[in-house]
Amino acid sequence: MQIELKQIVPIPLKDKFAKRNSDLWDQSVLFQHGEWVKIKAPSGTGKTTFIHTLYKLRHDYSGQVYYDDQEIKNITGDVLAQIRQQKISIVFQDLRLFPNLTARENIELKRVLQVPLYETSMIDEMAEKLGVTSILNQRAGLCSYGEQQRLAIIRSLIQPFDWLLLDEPFSHLDQENISKAAALIAEECRKRNAGFILTDLDEDEHFNYTKKLLL
Amino acid sequence: MLNILLKKLIQTSSGRTRFVMAIIGLSVALLLILSAVQIQVNYDDLLHSKTNQDSIANFLVLNKILNNKTYGTATFKEEDLSKLKQQHFVDDIGILTASRFKASVQSNSDRFPFYTDISFESVPAAFIDVNSKDWKWKEGDDFIPMIAPNMFLDIYNFQFSLSQNLPQLTQDIVKMIVFKVNINTDKGPVSFSGRIVGFSDRISSLLVPQEFNDWANKNFSNTQNAKPSRVVIRTKDPGNPALVQYLKDNGLTTDADKTRFSKYRQIVNAVVNVSWITGAVMLLFALLVFTLFIQLTIASCKEEIRLLITLGASPKQLQRFLMKQFFPSNIIIISISLISITALQFEVHQLLQEQNIFISEFTSYYTFATALLILFVLWFVNYTTIRKYIVLQDN
Repeated sequence: MQIELKQIVPIPLKDKFAKRNSDLWDQSVLFQHGEWVKIKAPSGTGKTTFIHTLYKLRHDYSGQVYYDDQEIKNITGDVLAQIRQQKISIVFQDLRLFPNLTARENIELKRVLQVPLYETSMIDEMAEKLGVTSILNQRAGLCSYGEQQRLAIIRSLIQPFDWLLLDEPFSHLDQENISKAAALIAEECRKRNAGFILTDLDEDEHFNYTKKLLL
Repeated sequence: MLNILLKKLIQTSSGRTRFVMAIIGLSVALLLILSAVQIQVNYDDLLHSKTNQDSIANFLVLNKILNNKTYGTATFKEEDLSKLKQQHFVDDIGILTASRFKASVQSNSDRFPFYTDISFESVPAAFIDVNSKDWKWKEGDDFIPMIAPNMFLDIYNFQFSLSQNLPQLTQDIVKMIVFKVNINTDKGPVSFSGRIVGFSDRISSLLVPQEFNDWANKNFSNTQNAKPSRVVIRTKDPGNPALVQYLKDNGLTTDADKTRFSKYRQIVNAVVNVSWITGAVMLLFALLVFTLFIQLTIASCKEEIRLLITLGASPKQLQRFLMKQFFPSNIIIISISLISITALQFEVHQLLQEQNIFISEFTSYYTFATALLILFVLWFVNYTTIRKYIVLQDN
């Protein structure tokens, strides 16, 4: 699947963005299947707005977003769910775990939402790699933010996808954990021949990006 | 697995009291509605089925009320009869012809002597509930078959025989006794032999074949073509309130016991109607509470549902899950109501059987059909409510 943007501008931020030079806002951009895209975005430039727009959580923008040939404003209900189960996965900046489910249940839920891609053992494997095995049976709400961030990453990787949207996915991780997480993400993307779009505040060398853009 | 996790997220336990209230309301409503259907079916069964064709009740002997005003004129005129015939509740009408000659019966045997003056009545054969090959007479026959009311034998067995120290008699014994029938004529008594060939509950007089009565009236009576004072009608439904009203309006009377169904029927109708209306209103409220309960559950898990959809749960998946949470309780309620009604029906069947009233021991198809229909309504309400409120979260 490819994602195409055509002159998208968030309506509430229209005036603010009009004065800035951006590679994305109000531009025509095509993300080809399998591209690893880094979007550098200083605070307040609309990182989350951008990711949410791509994921079809916001409608308050002008311009169009396409998944392949389909304008996402026309994709709704069960079809949209199908895309989120099979084509696009996401790590939210605010993580969005269910605080009352255990860490494992949060991941498991995403695993079984569609026909599972991986066995349950994969959860343990990934948790092992990111060092969160010990908290798997703890309620997610009780986990630290850093732990939750790693859980959210595992959750996003347990499902099939063509595109992975990562909204400041390492913000609460130390360098060591960032390396581990980045390695796991890279590995999973390679397995699926999938692309990702990662937003962050600064430059980084966590991945071999195929495209770097400024928001 | 998905369902277990969803169950953890979408807690249906919030508003448990409301749920219990909705369940109770729904159960009572269903019981009322299904009983109403079953009672109606049972009652129709009682009125129209063959096994319950009550030979007493379907034939009514009518006469004009005899009081000071009608004294001497309590007979049926031609127009009275034709008017009666036209009534929709009258299937057939027969005139009871009274004997207009003096007659007596006496025993042939000295061992069991009896003598009594007697009068006869006759009625067209179609109105007689006794099947006897002896029930025939033609001119020249010496033997006259007779049908006596059961009541006569009862009076004899349980009153007269006791007071006179006489043996009690069974129907079969009575049928074996041949006696002498004397008719007093101007030229002296004419004798026949007679025998009771059957007993009837339908008409409370001593019946002889119409042919004999007509012949005897013609030959031995001084008064010709007397107007009939009693008629017998056949009706499908002696409890028909219209019939009772007609009798009242025209100064007619019959065995009140036979029209007692009229009152019962009004009561049953009232009970059925009250049951219907109460059931329907309760069903409406129960549905409302149920809908509110579903709404409340979804509203209380609004955030979870929204996040589930964000993460890729399809509205269909959630609807299916919620249907699984709410709908089975409906099926259980309906099943329990049906089982209760079936058990009740069986009990009532047993109870009424002892009184020779026959209703089916099984629940009727109509009741099952109604249950299915209500199940469908419940499914529809569940489905549309869930759909509506899930879609509200999905935007």
